[in-house]
Amino acid sequence: MSSHALPGTGRRRFVTIGFRVGTYLSLLMIMGPVVWLLAGIVVRAVPHFSWSVLTHPTTGESGGLENAIIGTLLLMAGVLVLAGGIGILAGLHLAEYAKPRKNGKESGSLLRIASDVLSGFPSIVLGYVGYVALVLGLHWNFSLLAAWIILSVMVIPYIAKSTETALRQVPTAYREGAEALGMPPGYALRKVTLKTAAPGIVTGLLLALAIAGGETAPLIYTAGAFADSPVSMSLTHHPVPYLTFLVYGFYTLPENASHYLAYDAGLVLVVLVLVLLVAARLVVNRTQKHSEARRG
Amino acid sequence: MTLGEQPRPVRPTVVSTTPSKPEIDPILEALDPDRSRPADVVNSQGLTLSFGNKRILSDIHIAFRRGTITALIGPTGCGKSTFLRTINRMNDKVSGFRHEGDVTLEGESIWAPRQDLLSLRRRVGMLFQRPNPFPMSIRDNVVAGVKAHQIAKGKQLDVVAEERLRQVGLWDAVKDRLKDSPFRLSGGQQQLLCLARALAVGPEVLLLDEPTSALDPISTELVEGLLRQLTPALTLIIVTHNLGQARRASDNTMFLYEGQLVEHGPTEELFERPKEARTERYVTGRMG
Ligand SMILES: Nc1ncnc2c1ncn2[C@@H]1O[C@H](COP(=O)(O)OP(=O)(O)OP(=O)(O)O)[C@@H](O)[C@H]1O
Ligand SMILES: [Mg+2]
Repeated sequence: MSSHALPGTGRRRFVTIGFRVGTYLSLLMIMGPVVWLLAGIVVRAVPHFSWSVLTHPTTGESGGLENAIIGTLLLMAGVLVLAGGIGILAGLHLAEYAKPRKNGKESGSLLRIASDVLSGFPSIVLGYVGYVALVLGLHWNFSLLAAWIILSVMVIPYIAKSTETALRQVPTAYREGAEALGMPPGYALRKVTLKTAAPGIVTGLLLALAIAGGETAPLIYTAGAFADSPVSMSLTHHPVPYLTFLVYGFYTLPENASHYLAYDAGLVLVVLVLVLLVAARLVVNRTQKHSEARRG
Repeated sequence: MTLGEQPRPVRPTVVSTTPSKPEIDPILEALDPDRSRPADVVNSQGLTLSFGNKRILSDIHIAFRRGTITALIGPTGCGKSTFLRTINRMNDKVSGFRHEGDVTLEGESIWAPRQDLLSLRRRVGMLFQRPNPFPMSIRDNVVAGVKAHQIAKGKQLDVVAEERLRQVGLWDAVKDRLKDSPFRLSGGQQQLLCLARALAVGPEVLLLDEPTSALDPISTELVEGLLRQLTPALTLIIVTHNLGQARRASDNTMFLYEGQLVEHGPTEELFERPKEARTERYVTGRMG
């Protein structure tokens, strides 16, 4: 890489080296904790890991993770549909339809402010709102629907923002090219704009899903805090088990079996997120094989 | 870069200012035997255009004869792109856009209520300064407009793609990589691809905004040669900063200065015997 000589001498050389050291340091700051956390989980979980954990539900303070895994997947699937749908549409509106008004203000500014405010709420506050309004107020009790709604409210601003950003980065040249060909606007949006923005949108969606899957505080108030409850398909009146509660709740229990289960839950979560990441990469690579960035 | 020395079809230069001249291109004659269509494809009748309070174009009167190539020249910022983008109504959405006067296509106002914007743009194609292929395969690029307008489908699309790629002389270079990304092509090839894409929807008029300014001399020559072959079936209006190109590639030239049409006429006349002092200063390189 650095086979060619560094430009200049003295001060400039010093600055160049300084920058390079700086970039490596920041890389270390990011990679360090990731590796440390991953290693910590793997080292503690793998030695005693048994596949039966995946096929047995939690009983009392030990057992397996089957019900929690299914619960987490259910929660994520609901968020994917609900928050994904609303978030992407909101982002689309902000980027494509909220055109500046004559007075210079954007008609999308209200939506944007609302979205920014929402994303600033601590998740535990949202959880408590869900508890008061949905769990108690609407008598839904701890339930899938309450959890879906609160998790979605939490990640919708995030999805909207990443969708908007991805759409705004689509080169004007593509839009004008489509326009000049006389493509109908909706057609151009689907075939040119959205397709170009897809990697950004998918990445945002995925990170939102990972955030949702990794949340605990708002879930305790809406999905409940019962590790050994069975998974139920009913939308209301049944608490939902989920992995993060096991990580959070079982780590502080006295028995070793409970600790093991907490580490296993952590490991499963990490694997789940990794699978999501890889899946998204594959999807993106398939749709982007003609993108400008990949001209090499 | 001496395209002027290449053999090119010698045709009478048709000037819109002298419509009484009965010389009509034989090919045009064949295309429209009963001369039912007006000889002026595009006609700007006193077009005045502003963005907000800023007047960009003032009272432009000019007609574009069917089958001719018109070069649009003038110093930077004089409104060349704006004029061009008005003809396919790409300016309509610009905030503060206002216009007086009219522009007609085949005798009908482009802003007439019964004028369908999408088919207008199908009839008036555009090529941009920078090649802008879409992020899809080479073949899909050529037929992108064809699909959007549902002109053809299925197997027919492959036929259309081949025909248009042949027309722009790109077929042999890309026939084995039709499924590849267009961004691996050279800049000149990308521009030819965009030309093929524009031609595929069957336009009558092609607007070209500095189509070769991002290309090397050889690609430029290639594109210029092609443009000549597109006439007289198509009517071309080409914005260029390259006066050599204007002289080589056009029948008529219009000189725009600060939003006003200073002079227009047969290219040779405008360059050799300009009527206006400003035109002379510009074409002799003493202005702009
Ligand atoms: N969307 C817009 N909003 C406001 N003003 C604009 C807009 N587009 C162009 N203008 C103004 O209109 C004038 C003419 O611009 P135009 O792009 O037509 O010039 P041009 O002759 O094509 O120049 P160049 O040779 O540099 O391409 C300029 O003063 C420009 O600032
Ligand atoms: Mg311009």
